[in-house]
Amino acid sequence: MTETLDYILMGIMAVLTGPELFSLFGMAIPAAPVMLVLGVFTGIAVGATPGLAGPMAMAISLPILISIFGFTPDALLPVFGFLIGIMKGSTLGGAVPAILFNLPGTPDAMMTTLDGHPMAQAGEPKRALRIAQLSSVAGDTFSDIVLFVCAPFLAIMVEQWLDLPEKTALLILSISFVAAVMGGSPGKGLLSVSLGLIVAFIASGEDLSPRLTLGIPALRDGFPMLSAVLGILIVGEIFAAIDNERRGIAQRADSGERTSDHDGLRKGDVRRILPFIRRGALIGTIVGALPGVGSTLAATLSYSLAERRHRKTAGADDVAFGKGAPEGIAATEAANSAVSGANLIPVLSLGIPGNAAAVFLILAADSIGGFNPGPAVFKFTAAINPELVTVFGIFFLMVLGNLVNWTLGGSFMRSMGVLSRVPARYLLPVVLLVTLTAIYVQETSMFPLWTTVGFGVLGYLFRRMAIPVLPFVIAYILAGPIERSAREAFAASGADPWFLLKSPLAVVFLVMSVAALVLLSRQKQSA
Amino acid sequence: MKASHQTALLGLCIIALAGIALLFWLPNDTVSGFVQSRRGRLSIGDAMAPGLAFGLMALSGLLILLKAREACTALVTRHDVIFVLGLLGLVAVSFTLMRYSGPVLAGLFADGGDYRALRDTTPWKHLGFVFGGGGMVAALISWMERRVTLRAVLIGFAAAIALILVFDAGFDDLLLPPNGDV
Repeated sequence: MTETLDYILMGIMAVLTGPELFSLFGMAIPAAPVMLVLGVFTGIAVGATPGLAGPMAMAISLPILISIFGFTPDALLPVFGFLIGIMKGSTLGGAVPAILFNLPGTPDAMMTTLDGHPMAQAGEPKRALRIAQLSSVAGDTFSDIVLFVCAPFLAIMVEQWLDLPEKTALLILSISFVAAVMGGSPGKGLLSVSLGLIVAFIASGEDLSPRLTLGIPALRDGFPMLSAVLGILIVGEIFAAIDNERRGIAQRADSGERTSDHDGLRKGDVRRILPFIRRGALIGTIVGALPGVGSTLAATLSYSLAERRHRKTAGADDVAFGKGAPEGIAATEAANSAVSGANLIPVLSLGIPGNAAAVFLILAADSIGGFNPGPAVFKFTAAINPELVTVFGIFFLMVLGNLVNWTLGGSFMRSMGVLSRVPARYLLPVVLLVTLTAIYVQETSMFPLWTTVGFGVLGYLFRRMAIPVLPFVIAYILAGPIERSAREAFAASGADPWFLLKSPLAVVFLVMSVAALVLLSRQKQSA
Repeated sequence: MKASHQTALLGLCIIALAGIALLFWLPNDTVSGFVQSRRGRLSIGDAMAPGLAFGLMALSGLLILLKAREACTALVTRHDVIFVLGLLGLVAVSFTLMRYSGPVLAGLFADGGDYRALRDTTPWKHLGFVFGGGGMVAALISWMERRVTLRAVLIGFAAAIALILVFDAGFDDLLLPPNGDV
């Protein structure tokens, strides 16, 4: 217990006494907390701007942050601070255009429009935004607490009970689950996974001659990770949005906002929305802990359950769902924000990214070095484990992020309404140029820009064919760990070809992998 | 083409591509096989993981093929193909401008005419980025608006100049395109 407290203290100190950003009146200002606050504000602004999203801002800022802070372990907490700030801020900011202009800034804010916008149209935009802020930050805080408690225990359990074959089988389970759960059909999910694996396997491996390069010298080091991930995830999204703008099918803002004299949180509002926040936060946390499921499902599930409950318990004076009910906003915002904290449970305890934001945290760790998310980071060793200190530093940054959202987030988000009016047709090309520039300054060659555009086109086609892009990225990231752990497990078993089927737990994981594909496929068929 | 036919064709193409990769690409482009023997000990070779991935790809193609009858919306329309070709053309012109406008203009107007010697000198080092990057932004905005406007051009060049200020004025050791290639 004392050891844990020591590590918590070391994590807090690493944040507060880390590298200095600047000096104010002779006092050193640490980089990590400042970057976190900047990240939260950036995230709120990005979330409030239709056409932009948290992962997009994380993707653009990652190469810039690495350029500023370098590749030393000292860079980890300031970089994570900014990225976590964006992650937290964007979930809050996404409610702004949804409420004010019936235009969800992020996909998961879609359900917020159902009650948030009618409330704004009824002359209470500030009340709607305040309810959204309270619910969003409460949901986020709850899921963070679950993360702080669960991630270390899960990691310790994994380290104690899982050997190499079980870890390999668990990684297989995670990508088959993501393939099954995302997209229109398991076939398309599997296609996305297999392509992600193949791209990752190009020029990797143990032979002196790199594999699958087709003799192209530029591929001797494989595709740059930034190029593949940003291409399919961000550039593909930009291309799809440009196409929508060209076709004239992009969403347009509904500027029917009016204000009344008594706008603001009403007496009894908090008591009224509290049960809906509780349930939404719980749903969001459970959904968020599963890789690939996503915040849109959490918001939809929470909203429909809340609507059912509200219909049973509502009084005659209560506003119905869909007409501006505060409970509707609360249920949605609590659930979609709770996903972001819980999404870090598989990242930190297993090294498995569950959503796009988590992908960029893993990418940051991978680029900077000195921190490999996974069960090993939670090892309590005789000498100080720097990775464990970093984890507690991350936890402390998340607490600080929530404090910023609770205190300054509300007024900042209310001032961001103006961003919702910036036309996407001006923003999208600029974001594309920023993304390409950020990749070039890291890779200093035109070749990665071409491959980024190539992956962008692939991402665009995926979106048009309803093939999910996230399984591609998750498989791309997990390809190396799966191959490594399978090689080690095979060697440790004395070259037993059945090494994956010798352990009952590994067999259970493999059966679950197949079951996920088969059962979820049937469910989708009947839906 | 009907949506179901298009989906079936996609499934068949995926199976065919996976088959070609398994039969021709993988054996010819990996040194070790599925399993290799090193100093008398068997270990997994470099072909194993990609081989399984191609197998998974074939399986995905089969699943898509089996579900083809249920498909009700077209996968890719003619519009999508035209869009991709237009986009690639626009990006190719922008990247060409980015890569070559600096060296060409230096060759025409600079003393000595060698861009390499000038790639750390303002304004030469920024010409490619301003013309290529700013031009790409302006062209994309114009493409979406279906007309060329002064506003689009101004936004393009403002974006390029803002990025030059962030990356070039902010950091000494960062290279903007195309200065890492020339």
